[in-house]
Amino acid sequence: MIQFENVTKVYPTQKRPALNGVSVDVDKGEFVFLVGPSGSGKSTFLRLILKEEKPTKGRVHVAGKDLARLSNWKVPHLRRRIGCVFQDFRLLPNKNVFENVAFALEVIGKPRRFIRKVVPEVVELVGLEGKGDRMPDELSGGEQQRVAIARAFVNRPQILLADEPTGNIDPATSIGIMKVLDRINRTGTTVVMATHDAAIVDSMRKRVIELEDGEVIRDQSRGVYGQAY
Amino acid sequence: MRAQFVLSEIWIGLRRNLTMTVAVITTVAISLALFGAGMLINQQVSAMRGYWDERISITIYLCTESSPSKHCIENGPATDEDRNSLQADLKAMPEVASVEYVDQAAAWEDFQNRFSNRQALVEATQEGDIPDNFRVQLADPSKYERVQQSVQDRPGVDMVSNDKDVLDRFFELFDGLKWAALIVAVVQLAAAALLIGNTIRLSAYSRRRETGIMRLVGASNFYIQLPFLLEGAICGLIGGVIASGFIVATRFFLLDKIQDWFYSGVELSTGALLSVIGMSVILGVLLCTIASFLTLRRYLRV
Ligand SMILES: Nc1ncnc2c1ncn2[C@@H]1O[C@H](COP(=O)(O)OP(=O)(O)OP(=O)(O)O)[C@@H](O)[C@H]1O
Ligand SMILES: [Mg+2]
Repeated sequence: MIQFENVTKVYPTQKRPALNGVSVDVDKGEFVFLVGPSGSGKSTFLRLILKEEKPTKGRVHVAGKDLARLSNWKVPHLRRRIGCVFQDFRLLPNKNVFENVAFALEVIGKPRRFIRKVVPEVVELVGLEGKGDRMPDELSGGEQQRVAIARAFVNRPQILLADEPTGNIDPATSIGIMKVLDRINRTGTTVVMATHDAAIVDSMRKRVIELEDGEVIRDQSRGVYGQAY
Repeated sequence: MRAQFVLSEIWIGLRRNLTMTVAVITTVAISLALFGAGMLINQQVSAMRGYWDERISITIYLCTESSPSKHCIENGPATDEDRNSLQADLKAMPEVASVEYVDQAAAWEDFQNRFSNRQALVEATQEGDIPDNFRVQLADPSKYERVQQSVQDRPGVDMVSNDKDVLDRFFELFDGLKWAALIVAVVQLAAAALLIGNTIRLSAYSRRRETGIMRLVGASNFYIQLPFLLEGAICGLIGGVIASGFIVATRFFLLDKIQDWFYSGVELSTGALLSVIGMSVILGVLLCTIASFLTLRRYLRV
């Protein structure tokens, strides 16, 4: 589903590469944690999958497509197959839960009838039934993140990318978020999650890829956060 | 859903930068009004020029007792013989279509009629001030110089006046007016384009959250840019509509004045007026949309 072949990324303003010769293969339906210290290149890894950045060297394949050969006007279609969740939720403050989720479908031109049907389903899937009419500022951080996940998932993407989704949320609430992500993963969606949260990684026992200074220093199935020597 | 979404986005965008929107619309309206006025003056003047070219005549004034010119003082007032031979020769010229003799009384009456709307001028003139004259209608107006030269030095001829010289001087004035309007219009249009660019940039900045999410969930570039482009287009349209008001006013006040001065029967048709309005509005919408598009390419990363 996602393949990195010897990918190096050097930002124009930087001398040190953010990613350095990274080769990773993520299969369809996998759940992968991306861990490593701050600045190790986790977010860069995710941005390359979205073609928000282009690799300096190497190749990135997503859903069978070589991103280097994907023309710019087709990038939106790539992004429709990838859902994204961030630490800061990125909700629209002037729209309620339903509207925030529906926004993702409206702007890609889905018909109104379809939107009315699927939005409540997804809102229920992330555990927000009965809160569809709330505004973002009437929700807790955990609930806001659920809205963001619903928005990322409402178009049934093949891949869900999460960049520190529990970074702004307390540990107890984080468990609920992880349950939602796990539920989404069980529908067959590939999930890649960058995180600093050791407890979560240790409890989930999923594949762990550890980056340091832009290099993969560990790739372990059913791994834990800290290295188990 | 789409249309409703886009419309509400535009409305929000226009209201959010209300002061900028007003500035843009004003500038666009002024520049388009000047542009339209320039076009109208252009059309009016060329219509009048055509009208007058067809009707151009040469007036040959004959010497009278009181004529002050050197030529008349040397040769004395025109005799009947001078007059008859002049008339015969004129009629024989191939360039001349018709010759009409106008005596002092008739000339005075004609003058009063032509300038009936300028009472002061009429009152300052008396019968006898306008000498006997021949009014020569030309078959080919471009040949007027040849006719003028061949009669100029004949005995009894005081002076030969040509409508064309007088008209050309007026037409030059209106050409100048037209170019001034068009040049100011171009400068204003450039300013309008820059203002629109700025407005759209502000608008893109204040909506960066929305556009960021749109980008992320895979909205097409066109869909992301559409509200901004339409925002520009609507500014252009409103500016154009306001300008239309000024253009209509130009037609019914300024051009009708010019008509009066020139005593010419050419009125611009409603069709010509509408086409100038149409061109101005289209120019406004295009300019604003293109300016928005160019701005977005720089400030809205997709
Ligand atoms: N847009 C950018 N321009 C220049 N340098 C960048 C840019 N984004 C990231 N970097 C640099 O690339 C390196 C990797 O950054 P990245 O954001 O991928 O790290 P990260 O692992 O996500 O860190 P964190 O855990 O703090 O989010 C860092 O040294 C960072 O300074
Ligand atoms: Mg990061």
